Amino acid sequence: MPRIENEIWSRIKEGDSAAFGELYDGFASAMFSLSLQILNDRWEAEEVIQDVFAYLWRKPDAFSPEKGKFSSWLLVLTRNRSIDRYRSRKRRTDKAENDEILGSRSDPSQKDASAEATASDERAHLCEAFSELPEEQRRVLELSYFKGMNHMEIAELLDLSLGTVKSRIRLGVEKLRYALSSLRI
Amino acid sequence: MHARFANAPSSHKHKNLRFVDSLKQQAQDYALGTLPKEDAILFEALLEKDEDARNYLIEAQEDCANLSMTVPSSDAGDDLRSRVMESCRPKKDFNPFLDTAEINRLQENYLTPDQRYLGGGASVDMGDVGEQKIQDDLFQVYESLIELFPLVSGDSTAASGDFGSLGNWIGNGVGNGSLLSSHMKEALSHSLSNDEKDPGSRSTQRSLLAALPSLTFFINRVRENSATLADIRRIFYLCRDQLKIMRASFGDLDPSRLADDEKLRLHGAGLLRTKWWGAEHSYFSGNGNVRCGHFFDGPVTERCVEFAEYDSNLYCLANLLSSRTGNGEFHIELLKDAIPGGVLAVAMAETPLESHDEINSIVEGSQANGKIPLRDFALWKLIEDSMLRGHQDTGTDSMRDNPLHGCQRFENGTYLWFAWPNVPNAQDGAEAETGKPLQ
Repeated sequence: MPRIENEIWSRIKEGDSAAFGELYDGFASAMFSLSLQILNDRWEAEEVIQDVFAYLWRKPDAFSPEKGKFSSWLLVLTRNRSIDRYRSRKRRTDKAENDEILGSRSDPSQKDASAEATASDERAHLCEAFSELPEEQRRVLELSYFKGMNHMEIAELLDLSLGTVKSRIRLGVEKLRYALSSLRI
Repeated sequence: MHARFANAPSSHKHKNLRFVDSLKQQAQDYALGTLPKEDAILFEALLEKDEDARNYLIEAQEDCANLSMTVPSSDAGDDLRSRVMESCRPKKDFNPFLDTAEINRLQENYLTPDQRYLGGGASVDMGDVGEQKIQDDLFQVYESLIELFPLVSGDSTAASGDFGSLGNWIGNGVGNGSLLSSHMKEALSHSLSNDEKDPGSRSTQRSLLAALPSLTFFINRVRENSATLADIRRIFYLCRDQLKIMRASFGDLDPSRLADDEKLRLHGAGLLRTKWWGAEHSYFSGNGNVRCGHFFDGPVTERCVEFAEYDSNLYCLANLLSSRTGNGEFHIELLKDAIPGGVLAVAMAETPLESHDEINSIVEGSQANGKIPLRDFALWKLIEDSMLRGHQDTGTDSMRDNPLHGCQRFENGTYLWFAWPNVPNAQDGAEAETGKPLQ
């Protein structure tokens, strides 16, 4: 897969619009789903995706194969731009949202979420692995990754030590990584 | 755990385990954009020379990608795809237009005002529009749109493809879409028959002519059950802009929201790009599809209330062109470096000669063929007023000699444009951003 991804990227660099379409068809759904999960606003999520693709078309050199997998880079870019917007909106509304933060993400064990994810084995496997994480690890990962909170903010919100937050994130991430690697073996 | 170490870089064996852990942590924080700025700079320096750091960052990025794949899948839709693919279309080359004598004159004479205009300069009280009935009508339009807004926002059921609540609102009771047209027609005809320099009439015209005609068009699509998700998105943007334009026009319409609009908050060109890019626009009987340039990355206005005026000016240009475009589309471009100290907004359409002549008559204020609706003259006057407010050191006479807005025929196209002062001392990128790992 990385080889195919890098080939698409090389063609985009040469101005191949068909490759750009292939990229969209292959990854836009995952990118849009991620952005929508973070922002919970379809129009804002669409704006993020539109911006990311426009940026990529204008500046394909922003990526290079030394930076890892193209798809991973795209997802991180999408995540960070979505978090930027989320924070910007949060600053504007300045609402207390501790409850909302934890309640906004759908239950990963929900049947429909798993069913939708079966389109990809890896995706389904990751969904399952995520739902099987201990609650305390899942919470800190959600706050960190999907709400863009830093460790200190999470520690204050959940009344945990900074070290505990870091170790829970690391443990959760390692379990997901392990789950994926076991699928690939 | 075994898999982790199997993939780990071999050179870390030579490093202290604690250092490795710290490096991994930094890589993870950097990927998430949560590493403090100073630490991020140091980490970037480390990336240049340390292979382990680079590998840990790639690993952290993979972890982030894994987390990304745990969210429920959502359909991005065809409309988004077509807008994204617009990126690949060759952009209109505005350089020949920028070399015209009129734009050269603007480049040579453009002066940034000493004091920046904050917006809201044309605001009047509702009482200034005259008849109580008109005031009530305008207030009713505003109240209706306040009700409409949550029904079309990005977290509404309509945004998920279920138009039921929206359709019910449009079809039923007070505040429904059909009322919009009748309110609009009565108030508009009253304002157009008034003295054109009457501030109350101008505020009414801005409120009813800039964004509202297109908004009404898309609301009608919902009523006729022919709306798509793209139409709902368009209603959202138009409704949001319309509300801000009305608040900027009438100071006592909604003072608490207006106070928020007046706060210092940079508004980037990107907001205009995402809104206009690939949009359909309508003005009474005319429709056009919008094509946009890439614009630039940076702020165009400092506050919502100023942005509302900028928006209103762009809508006026779009309205003039959408009913006269020869091929059903028109271009919008914002050019930052075209004039020193200012941003040049250009709207361009390929037009038959008779349509261009008609627009030219509007610009010159002459009813050449007797067929031009009064409301179209009002559109250009609204921009003219705005130019005087935006460039407060410039008088009417001076503006006549050195226009800050204009209309030109170039090749087969009509170019409408206006200049607006740069936002001073602003770095590129109006919105805050997290770190950009690996970008």
